[in-house]
Amino acid sequence: MRTQDLISALAADTLPQPPVIRQISRALVPAVAVSVVAFILFWGARPDIVATLGSMAVLKTLGPLALVALSVAYALALSHPGVADERRKIALGGALLLCALLFVVVFAQQGLAGLAGALSTPSLLVCLLSVPVLAAPLLAAMLWGLSSGASMRPRVTGAAAGLAAGGAAAALYSFYCDKDMVLFVLPAYSVAIGSVVLAGALLGPRALKW
Amino acid sequence: MRAANRGDTGAYHKLLTAITPVLRKVVRARGAALGPEGCEDVLQDVLLAIHRKRHLWRDDAPLRPWIYAIARHKVVDAFRSRGRRVELSIDDFAEGLAAEPGPDPTQGRDMEKIFGELEPRAAEIVRAFGLKGETTAETAARLDMSEGAVRVALHRALKTIARLRERMIE
Repeated sequence: MRTQDLISALAADTLPQPPVIRQISRALVPAVAVSVVAFILFWGARPDIVATLGSMAVLKTLGPLALVALSVAYALALSHPGVADERRKIALGGALLLCALLFVVVFAQQGLAGLAGALSTPSLLVCLLSVPVLAAPLLAAMLWGLSSGASMRPRVTGAAAGLAAGGAAAALYSFYCDKDMVLFVLPAYSVAIGSVVLAGALLGPRALKW
Repeated sequence: MRAANRGDTGAYHKLLTAITPVLRKVVRARGAALGPEGCEDVLQDVLLAIHRKRHLWRDDAPLRPWIYAIARHKVVDAFRSRGRRVELSIDDFAEGLAAEPGPDPTQGRDMEKIFGELEPRAAEIVRAFGLKGETTAETAARLDMSEGAVRVALHRALKTIARLRERMIE
């Protein structure tokens, strides 16, 4: 086929293509439904959930959700060639740094014994397994939606998708989780979300090829 | 491009025609070892990518950097994979050989292979627009389809072509 003929064929195709954000939302509807239903069936909210949401422990939900918003914005910028992503990268990096800083401050107060005490509970394993399981459908939806974009850095974009999926799953899991100590929540949630980030980074180059 | 994204076929055709010589130069400058046909295949990959990703261009952004970004990605991709089976042209060794009357230099090879893998009707529709220059109405009448169905079929066929070519590159 001659290039000129290809151009004629391309020009004849005038069907509009949906924006990336719409593709993501479309994929997320069933994915969120699956995760939420699975959560209700197999986990369920802790009994004192209403009181919890009125206390500082609500940050266990709001923190991950903030990460979701920032990482979705970053992944979207990465998927549009020529769109500046610096600001969104700094915002996301700043939020992660804030988490690390909070951990360092509390760790300095309570020391290694405090950390060991907070983490020596069966909840740790439950958290580390639950968040990736709840995140799996969300990660698939994120990657599928982002694949309609054009990422120049698929590994980073995949990692950002993993952060979004992991963050959302952690926010969901926080309704079940009854451990509110900073020295439990920060390390456990970070490692759990981190494993989803890793999965996203590994899948990115394949899923986001174009 | 703005008009193209609103569905103006004429404007879009003009845009693609205008950027093609520039892109061809870029591709040939990088991939002399692929030969003119190989370069044309890469160029067609770039055009397909621009077409498939045109919704990612934002109305208020400058178009040139966007097109170059897409092209750079596709060219790097193509040469990375094709580089593994570098095709050395005879010309590199035998300068004295009489130049054969070569095939049309704007003819790509990969596309014919793809058409073989495509569903016959989809291939027919792409050919109808490309080679025969038919309009939607003409194709619809000839294939006994509605115009909307032809539009959708063309859109899907191009999507499939882009995917098949990606797989070919891997």
